[in-house]
Amino acid sequence: MTLRATDVGLAYEGNQIFADVSLEIASGEVLTIVGPSGAGKTSLLRLLAAFRPPDEGTIAWNGTDIWELSRRDRLAVRRRLSMVFQEPGLFNASVLQNVTYGQRVRLPWTERVRRAVAAVTGGDHVSDAVEEALETVGLADKHDQNALSLSGGEAQRVSFARALAVDPAVMLLDEPTSNLDPRNTAVLEEAISRARDRGVGVVIATHDMHQAERISDGVAFLFDGEIVETGPPEQVFEDPTDPRTARFVDGDLLYDPDEATTPRERASSSLSPTD
Amino acid sequence: MLPLQLPGGSWAYVLSIVLVTLEVSVTAVGLSTLVSLPVALLVGFTDFPGKRLVEAVINTGMGFPSVVVGLVVLLLLSNSGPLGSLDLVFTPQAMIASQFVLATPVILSVSLSAVAGVEQEVRDAAFAMGGTRVDVGLAVLKEARYGVVTAILAGFGRAISEVGSVLIVGGNIVYSDGESYTRTLTTAITVEARQGRYEVGLVLGAILLALVLVVNGLGSWIRQRGRGGGVT
Repeated sequence: MTLRATDVGLAYEGNQIFADVSLEIASGEVLTIVGPSGAGKTSLLRLLAAFRPPDEGTIAWNGTDIWELSRRDRLAVRRRLSMVFQEPGLFNASVLQNVTYGQRVRLPWTERVRRAVAAVTGGDHVSDAVEEALETVGLADKHDQNALSLSGGEAQRVSFARALAVDPAVMLLDEPTSNLDPRNTAVLEEAISRARDRGVGVVIATHDMHQAERISDGVAFLFDGEIVETGPPEQVFEDPTDPRTARFVDGDLLYDPDEATTPRERASSSLSPTD
Repeated sequence: MLPLQLPGGSWAYVLSIVLVTLEVSVTAVGLSTLVSLPVALLVGFTDFPGKRLVEAVINTGMGFPSVVVGLVVLLLLSNSGPLGSLDLVFTPQAMIASQFVLATPVILSVSLSAVAGVEQEVRDAAFAMGGTRVDVGLAVLKEARYGVVTAILAGFGRAISEVGSVLIVGGNIVYSDGESYTRTLTTAITVEARQGRYEVGLVLGAILLALVLVVNGLGSWIRQRGRGGGVT
């Protein structure tokens, strides 16, 4: 399994968000895209998740451009991916209903209706994958609790469990721990490592270099619309070859919110699904 | 205690009126819901030129005078109108059509507002978990369920309490054996009041109120149950 971005570019309202971005994600690897806020990380992840086609370049699954596929085949590819967002985006339903969502939409309609009826009558079906996902994030005892009543950390862990329960080949994680306390961050990082050990390819977008150092196999530094450096974390953070990476590592974000952020942040929130 | 024998009328007459009222209003609201929810999703989640205008037209539609709607529907369905060949004037189907026109802007407007209030993150999550467009739409409707239930109830209230248009397109017809064909609770009340049979009119009014109360109670129960998180 490989998910590959080749020379990908994206523009929004006449502003180039990024250009010539090339990445490859393989099974059992954690690739972290590091960069300052507003660098376009979220937009890039959304392109990888097939929210919409890039303006330039290709996103390929096992060598095939996913936007050359029929909608049905692209859906099949999308169902090998899953994504966790900076905000959990949980449904107003029980934890169990949230975590089983991805499995439910993969079922034929007759089975979905049957399970919906069973859920109302108390015969909810819980698969091993769902149980395992909830155990991985330490929330196996919260099945019946309404997801919206959880703390921020627990909610993000449910969001991760929801993405894990569909047995994805690739997980795309957008700043998954940026709003979390150290304990919840540790739980999620452990869950990410376990997913990687099971062969899941993981892409994390973050501005947290320390997290990238802790859990990454590879780091790509996205700055000002381009990937300026890639490599293993120890090389990128300890011996960067690009001066911009060096300045970021030294704590200088090289970031002008007036000039850089606005179009990129608007772009990331505007990348609605087109399928 | 109500008398067993209704003065000036029979219980069979009242029952037939209730059944016609429910048949017309429930069907009209059901059809309107089927049309309104997909349109609300489409308008709510799509940016297109003139979107503001469309929303303004929908909101304006909530204030359509019912007699004008009745007149327009009558002209469309009359023998010389474009749908005259369907031969629907003075039938329950014509009344359903006019109530559909009246209820749709209400259901559409309230559900559009409810759907637009669902956070982008929820839509993104449904899509990113492998949902199709239909799945994403259903996920949004589930999130907006309290608003959608309110929309349907508001549409039902608009339909069942409406007099002008059903009078025009339905004709307020009663069979010779005294059973209603196109007479509803509201139109019957006007007839009974005009004929001075106030007791019958009051009974019909009480039944109408009870129906609205039951339907709203049902809606409240659904909303209450949904807040517990167990509905989805």
